[in-house]
Amino acid sequence: MSTALPSTRSFALPAARSVALPIALVVVWQLAGAASGNARTPLPTHVLAAALQLIESGELPLALLQSLGRVFTGFAIAAALAIPLGLAMGSFAGVERNVDPLVESFRPIAAIAILPLAILWLGTGTPAAVLIVAYAAFFPIVVNTVAGAKRINPTLLRAAATMGLSRLAIVRTVVVPGALPAIGTGLRIAMGVAWTAIVAAELAVGAKAGGGGSGGIGQMMFVFYAYSIELNRIVVCMIAVGLVALALDRALRAAMRWAMPWAAR
Amino acid sequence: MTTAIRHGRFGTAFAYMRTMAVFVAAWWALALWTGNPALLPTPLEVLKAIVALASDLELFLHAGISLWRMLLSLALATVLAVPLGVAMGLSRVLDGLVDPVVEILRPISGIAWIPLALFILGVGNALPVFIMTYAAFFPILLGTVAGVRGVDRRLIDAARTMGVPHRRIVARVVVPAALPSLLVALRLGVASSWTAVVAAELIGAPSGLGYAIEWYRELLLTPQVMTFIAMIGLLGYLFDRALRALAQRFTPWAADARMS
Repeated sequence: MSTALPSTRSFALPAARSVALPIALVVVWQLAGAASGNARTPLPTHVLAAALQLIESGELPLALLQSLGRVFTGFAIAAALAIPLGLAMGSFAGVERNVDPLVESFRPIAAIAILPLAILWLGTGTPAAVLIVAYAAFFPIVVNTVAGAKRINPTLLRAAATMGLSRLAIVRTVVVPGALPAIGTGLRIAMGVAWTAIVAAELAVGAKAGGGGSGGIGQMMFVFYAYSIELNRIVVCMIAVGLVALALDRALRAAMRWAMPWAAR
Repeated sequence: MTTAIRHGRFGTAFAYMRTMAVFVAAWWALALWTGNPALLPTPLEVLKAIVALASDLELFLHAGISLWRMLLSLALATVLAVPLGVAMGLSRVLDGLVDPVVEILRPISGIAWIPLALFILGVGNALPVFIMTYAAFFPILLGTVAGVRGVDRRLIDAARTMGVPHRRIVARVVVPAALPSLLVALRLGVASSWTAVVAAELIGAPSGLGYAIEWYRELLLTPQVMTFIAMIGLLGYLFDRALRALAQRFTPWAADARMS
């Protein structure tokens, strides 16, 4: 009987356990950093102070908003291209046969690798960063949409065809709803990739174009590295990058659950 | 179904050639219309650059350096992540302790570590190796944990009933049973660290494919830039193929695990 109800102890113990190691590591970091005697060594207390400072001055929120704006723009472009293409490829064998070689040839090329070309074509500002994000986000969305469209129960497709629906109508009424969960997964993966890509793109632009003014969180990190050498602030940026990545993932997961509760996994 | 039979392996190859021919033709037309080889060189100019870079071995030199870093990082990540993952998969207590740290660090992409690591490690081999190891570590760790957790309890219980010591149960039962998902995890780790190599070398290494791309961009030698970009794609593709073949060779029973 007593096992049926979780006692407070069995609840409190895992909770204590889950914060034990993170807290211990932060304490060790603080002590070891203070003992090292190097004034530049980032310390948890200094990082916290730097975080408050950067938030208060509005620098960090501004940089994050700039980066997020680029991510959302690139992501929207990628989704607008990749979802229709993926649906067409997944529904019509002829389209897939002719387009798939192109997709598979470019997919292994990391988005960051084309950054030099993007800089060459579009300069070091926002358009180049958006292009990188769109390129990075495009492939996960296409691949998952194709897989989703192909995994649809053939009985449903035949039933729709038997009832005299045109092929386009079948895509609209059977394939799209059926592929929705897979598209959602693709979008979520793409968002993670897009966020990583924007940080890389802004960092590299900062490194190679002399830090000048295009903004964003990656750029900000590079300025702290190369010009003002403030490691505490770099750590603040890293934590911010991680938190935004986590928030984006959670938000998309929640959106998927809300939009298609039947596909909850 | 019927189309798959009608267009066999030969048909696929034909479709591939046809699509790429259209792509190259379109590229060529666009390049001629642009008329600026620094902005968009013709396919012929890129081909010439490939031949030139391949014949003086520069292409292979940089590729070899990147590959070596990649293998080193992968080995490091595997040595660190697999034992930890097995232990976390077997022990709830350890999992409860370590998992929160993993979940805190994992969203911070390897690339976001570059400025701090650049300051600590400087420009050189250590930086790309660190970034790539970090990038490969989490997929391998999570895949190992999931694989070990997915092992059929009855297999472990059966071995225990037969009096097999704990250490040998891990080596002979748990690890082989978790191998398919471990190999999938390894593939994800490779993909994630190969993406990171470009960024790491672009910013903080004096050699390698990422460095070469950036070097030729500054010289505005776009055909060379494209050659190295293509090399990155080719190697990434070959890596993935090799790991798929490895999975097929060593875990032929686990066809499902390879699908993803």
